Amino acid sequence: MEDTRRGTVTSLASLFPVEEAQKAANRVQDAIAEKRAELDHLLRFVADNNNLINLVHKLPEELSHEIMVPFGKAAFFPGRLIHTNEFLVLLGEGYYAERTSKQTAEILGRRGKALDSQVDSLEAMIKDLQAEANFFSQTITEAAEGLVEIREDYIEKDSHKEEIKSGPLKQHTSDLEKTEADNEEYARIVARMDELEKEELAAESGIDNEKDEQTTEDVGDISYQRPVGSKPHNSEDFHKSTPPVDQANNKSIATGSAEKHDNPDIADQLNFASLDLQSNVGEGKNAAAKKVKFVDHRKPLTHHEEKTVKATTASKSEVQHQPSQPSFNSHKAFTGSIVEHTENLKTLNGQSSSSTSSQVSGSRPSKPVSRFKMQRR
Amino acid sequence: MSSLTSAVRDLQRDLENKTNDLSKLQKDIAKNHQVRKKYTVQLGENELVLKELDLLNEDANVYKLIGPVLVKQDLAEANSNVRKRIEYISAELKRLDATVQDLEEKQNSKKDAILKLQQRIQSIQTTKGKA
Repeated sequence: MEDTRRGTVTSLASLFPVEEAQKAANRVQDAIAEKRAELDHLLRFVADNNNLINLVHKLPEELSHEIMVPFGKAAFFPGRLIHTNEFLVLLGEGYYAERTSKQTAEILGRRGKALDSQVDSLEAMIKDLQAEANFFSQTITEAAEGLVEIREDYIEKDSHKEEIKSGPLKQHTSDLEKTEADNEEYARIVARMDELEKEELAAESGIDNEKDEQTTEDVGDISYQRPVGSKPHNSEDFHKSTPPVDQANNKSIATGSAEKHDNPDIADQLNFASLDLQSNVGEGKNAAAKKVKFVDHRKPLTHHEEKTVKATTASKSEVQHQPSQPSFNSHKAFTGSIVEHTENLKTLNGQSSSSTSSQVSGSRPSKPVSRFKMQRR
Repeated sequence: MSSLTSAVRDLQRDLENKTNDLSKLQKDIAKNHQVRKKYTVQLGENELVLKELDLLNEDANVYKLIGPVLVKQDLAEANSNVRKRIEYISAELKRLDATVQDLEEKQNSKKDAILKLQQRIQSIQTTKGKA
């Protein structure tokens, strides 16, 4: 599925080097520890404050309290606590105020609220730091495992189609790339392809026997899989065969023009190549049947096709286009594209990249025959 | 070649000086931050005190702790004192802010100069290496 897309693969380890991530994680942990210590401090204040409030409430209950007064470091003497309702409250900055117990309690309450708000802000900060630490530890493990980040361009068209056929057809599609000649026709046929695909799917199960058909089907499928979007570059090789081919494909294979040759060739090749692969592919298509016949005839032509096809398909989609076209013409020979496949299959297996095949195809000169030869090698 | 090496040495000495200046600047900035923190805390405390003083009745007794002595103070007087202290602290903070800005700018320019020096040294060394 991804074949047509271009993407970059970056190892997470390169983006976030493990040691640095480790250091950053440690730093964050230290910051968290600091904040936790501060939080403890504040919580102790809060606890003290609450105790004080209770005491302040309790003291005025009696006129005077009997207590043991500390005397120096290691002595006490019995004494009495009087003026139980008068408190000298420290307001801050060395300022004291004389207040009653109720007023003192109020002051303490206000102080407690301020402390609580401080505690809340500290806790929020700790939470943020923890989230950061989690992220770091995660990236560390990921980088250690060797996870990679893969970015690909999003190609909208027909991506779902590709997925449908991705299985067996993948190989074929690579072959199809070469069939550039059909690109233009392919575009037109794409719409048709959908219909054909459905037919294929239905027929697939039933038609294992019809290998020929398979190949033709494959062509269609393959082309189908490839995203429609890529048709572009092949034009160079294509030039010759394309214009006529496109038209021919659209109309009918029978036209017998050069295009047809291409198609049948391709089809033949495809047939050969895809026979095994495509057993599953929906051969049931009517078009396939027709193609089969056609292909046989065209075999000699395939060479022709191959070359043109190969040259044209710089991109996978193109390949698809072409095969699809022939199948689309259905009933006619999708020829040309099929032929390509066989060639492509070999090359594909070796290179497993459309680009290589396209390169191969691209290198051919105007003469299709020469290309064919090159491909054969 | 020798001229190159001497040039490199000069540049390196220059680099050392600049790095020293930079570290000094950084220390100043750190000190500044500390002082700022202290002032900020004091400012907060004083504002609290002011709030409480406002809540007091007119006849309440206010004492100020001067050393070991607790001195009775007038409420109005205490109020004004606290207000003045708050103003003073805010002014100090602003001044410190300006200084820290200044210091940071200087620090950045020093960093740039150091970078450039380093690049020059590297380029000279590579040319020396080639030669």
